Amino acid sequence: MRHFKHWFYALVLLLPLAANAAVKVDKAAPQFSLTNSQGENVNLADYAGKYVVLEWTNHLCPYVKKHYESDNMQALQRKYTDKDVVWLSIISSAPGKQGHVSADKANELTQSRNAAPSHVLFDESGDVGKLYGAKTTPHMYIIDPEGTLRYAGAIDSIKSANPADIPKATNYVTAGMTSLMTGSAIDKKVTPPYGCSVKYKS
Amino acid sequence: MSYIVKVFLIFIIIFQSFSAVYAQSTGVQSIDGEKVNELQSYPSSATGPHIRVSLLNEHASLVPNVTSHLGILLSPNPEWHTYWRNAGDSGEPPTVTWQSSADIEFGEIQWPLPEQIPVAHLVNYGYSGDTLLMVPITLLAPEEKESNSPATSLTNPIVITADLSWLVCKEDCIPGWATLSISLPTSSQQTLSEHSTLFENTRAKLPSDKWLNAQYEINEQYIALSTQAPYPSDWQLLPFRADLIQHSGTQQWHDDSNNEEGVTRQNVLLSKSDYFSVTNEPLAFLMTDGKSGYYVEAAFNSDGNISGESSSQSELDQSVTAIALMMFFAFLGGLILNIMPCVLPVLSIKALALANEADPKNVNHWGYLIGILISFWGFAAIVLTLKASGNAIGWGFHLQEPIIIAALSFLFVFIALMLWDVAPSGAGLAGMGQKLTQGNSFSSQFFTGVLAVIVASPCTAPFMATALGVAMVSPAITTILIFTALALGFALPMTLLAISPRFSALLPKPGNWMETFKQFLAFPMLATVIWLLWVFLAQTGSFGQLWLTAGLLAFALLIWLANKLAQKKSLIALSLAILTAGYVSIEASSFQAESPPVNNNTLELAFTPEKLKELKADEDVILVNMTADWCITCKVNEQVAFTDETLQQLLLQDDIHYVVGDWTNKNKEILDYLTQYQRSGVPLYVVYAGTKTAKVLPQVLTPSIVINAIQQAQQELNNATL
Repeated sequence: MRHFKHWFYALVLLLPLAANAAVKVDKAAPQFSLTNSQGENVNLADYAGKYVVLEWTNHLCPYVKKHYESDNMQALQRKYTDKDVVWLSIISSAPGKQGHVSADKANELTQSRNAAPSHVLFDESGDVGKLYGAKTTPHMYIIDPEGTLRYAGAIDSIKSANPADIPKATNYVTAGMTSLMTGSAIDKKVTPPYGCSVKYKS
Repeated sequence: MSYIVKVFLIFIIIFQSFSAVYAQSTGVQSIDGEKVNELQSYPSSATGPHIRVSLLNEHASLVPNVTSHLGILLSPNPEWHTYWRNAGDSGEPPTVTWQSSADIEFGEIQWPLPEQIPVAHLVNYGYSGDTLLMVPITLLAPEEKESNSPATSLTNPIVITADLSWLVCKEDCIPGWATLSISLPTSSQQTLSEHSTLFENTRAKLPSDKWLNAQYEINEQYIALSTQAPYPSDWQLLPFRADLIQHSGTQQWHDDSNNEEGVTRQNVLLSKSDYFSVTNEPLAFLMTDGKSGYYVEAAFNSDGNISGESSSQSELDQSVTAIALMMFFAFLGGLILNIMPCVLPVLSIKALALANEADPKNVNHWGYLIGILISFWGFAAIVLTLKASGNAIGWGFHLQEPIIIAALSFLFVFIALMLWDVAPSGAGLAGMGQKLTQGNSFSSQFFTGVLAVIVASPCTAPFMATALGVAMVSPAITTILIFTALALGFALPMTLLAISPRFSALLPKPGNWMETFKQFLAFPMLATVIWLLWVFLAQTGSFGQLWLTAGLLAFALLIWLANKLAQKKSLIALSLAILTAGYVSIEASSFQAESPPVNNNTLELAFTPEKLKELKADEDVILVNMTADWCITCKVNEQVAFTDETLQQLLLQDDIHYVVGDWTNKNKEILDYLTQYQRSGVPLYVVYAGTKTAKVLPQVLTPSIVINAIQQAQQELNNATL
């Protein structure tokens, strides 16, 4: 009986670890391959040698809207794609859940919102989201040219749905990219992300 | 009343209500100084998508300097929920900013017990259904003669405004904002409002006022926390911070009844959040079992400072009380030490000497007290020096050296011989011992004191052990204080006898019985020698004991001879005796008892670097466990992994060794070992396959982790020999 109890503990201890594959900053960013809104296959490995920003998104989530309706997110996308950074917007919403869109709709949203991601990727099964431990939309990650994850967490420092808070907050993506591009260490490598929950399948 | 008047009145009433509603629901441009009007323009409740929010008051009026409560009632639609102060993996707690037309002190939101709301594989903390967030408020009475301005006058009703923000979710989330206000009159008596029942009911859902204390440690993947739950139940810890633990992780609780304080504590392992970035600051949690809740403040477990209080002030208070208690114990121990078999004979000789003496008021008697104090301070100094040089020592450390045991045996035999008058008495070297302890001079009293401390060392009185145990691991000043208390307790009886005529009058009058008594006292001395011989056996084996007993016999013979022979020959005999004592002590101590101390229950070997090297050279599997009494994670591992039957069976195998390093008192060897593996603390688990490989195990173990590592090491050794 004691055996069983200990195996049970072991299993149960490990289970949540499996579910929340601990994504570790300063370790290699997990590889993945997803389909984009043009129907093409996109691999993270394709971008070795470049900075990659991952943005988990859901266009109906009020916290994502906060950053899109204020042009804040698009401005970041433009700024960094101009500097040859690869910006991947990832939608992990399961079919039927908020934020799940068809390829056409995704392209239409990119147009209408004047967004500038390198790709919009669909992660319907939620596997890549879980691989990265993506909890909220928005949830931001920065990967350096060597493939190491350097930042994971919130987009900025004020946890609210109010666009008026954007100018008052510290933008962690800007801070992270600036530090990395000038060769210095990132001050806050992890910050607790805020937003709506990612609408996983289960 | 005429018809027209009635209609007119009705019209007026309707008009009034409309304008009141109109005034309430429209915003009025703010004009400085007309704050009252502006604040009054907000409603006391508002509706947003899927939620209604209201601002309620507990009492119908405000009384100056008496606390009341306001409440924000969140009423989401069925299946929609709002959030706790830490929303969990996603979401946002409601916030409120207050304004008032009067001087009111607003407190913090009193959060009722939240639920854990699962969302896919993640977890949020929040509330479904109606939730009242209460906030204590106190109207501060203005200065007596000062205020004339209408805003601070207490005759007008006070308007309170709340700027509220919230997030309400079912699966999708909708944020909302509203400004609500209510207007309350002031009065001199507090009366309940219509909403007071709701406030009362909500109070029952609040966590307890009392904060519990806890300690936490940070491991690679877990936070280990130790606390005392008020009663057994299915507890969960909900952190105040969102970046602390994995909210969806399972919390593993273990009861630990095996600690020094004798109370059962609960240890829990919390999986760390991916966003964890805490360094040693106090952490706050809500501990709840779904029905009731307690707030917990956890302090960082910095190497064994497990005290009951977490605040530094009360920690200070408690340690002062603890020291005072220990000093009292030490004092009692010192008193009791006076009647221990090792000490009693020596003191009795002295007491008898006192009984014979004419002048009980001789100040030289203070020499005894001073002798004792100095001896104990000397002991304390040795202890502190050894501690400073990194040696882990406990009271009785001197008894771990065989040579000291041997020397003490000779001393005690000599005293017994003295009591039987077999030892030479008289002038010169021979009589020196006697003179030193039986004379009246200051130095004789002094040396009696020193001798008393020396003979006391093999005996430990009950209270003394605790006190000394504490002294050994405490800062220098505590050690010195405790040893001083011990010295005073020890010296007290004899000093009283010596200086107080009243006490010395208690001594029986001299007579023939004294001679018989003196001879009798030799026997407790010899009993102590028997005990010392037993200890010596364990230290040096049967040969060593044989040497010592033979030596003691030769010594006794020589002393007897010295007594019988004339002066010069006597001196020779005496010198021979002393030489014998010295030589035998050294020789006998060089023997080593055969089997190294092995704890047969768990087959643990004590860690020393040499032992580890030796075992590695044997090309066997070695499991090293660096632990400490105060380490929470170690205790959890003890219960989960090390009590596993398969693992215990495995450790019994001949070619697998289990080495344990106890870092409770911080010794240098273990520190060096830890540094080697870039650790600064315990636990550290390493499995060696002989000299070939070393594998560091995770800080939180399961039986399978350890068993697999051992089996892997065995495999490697087998492969190597193939």
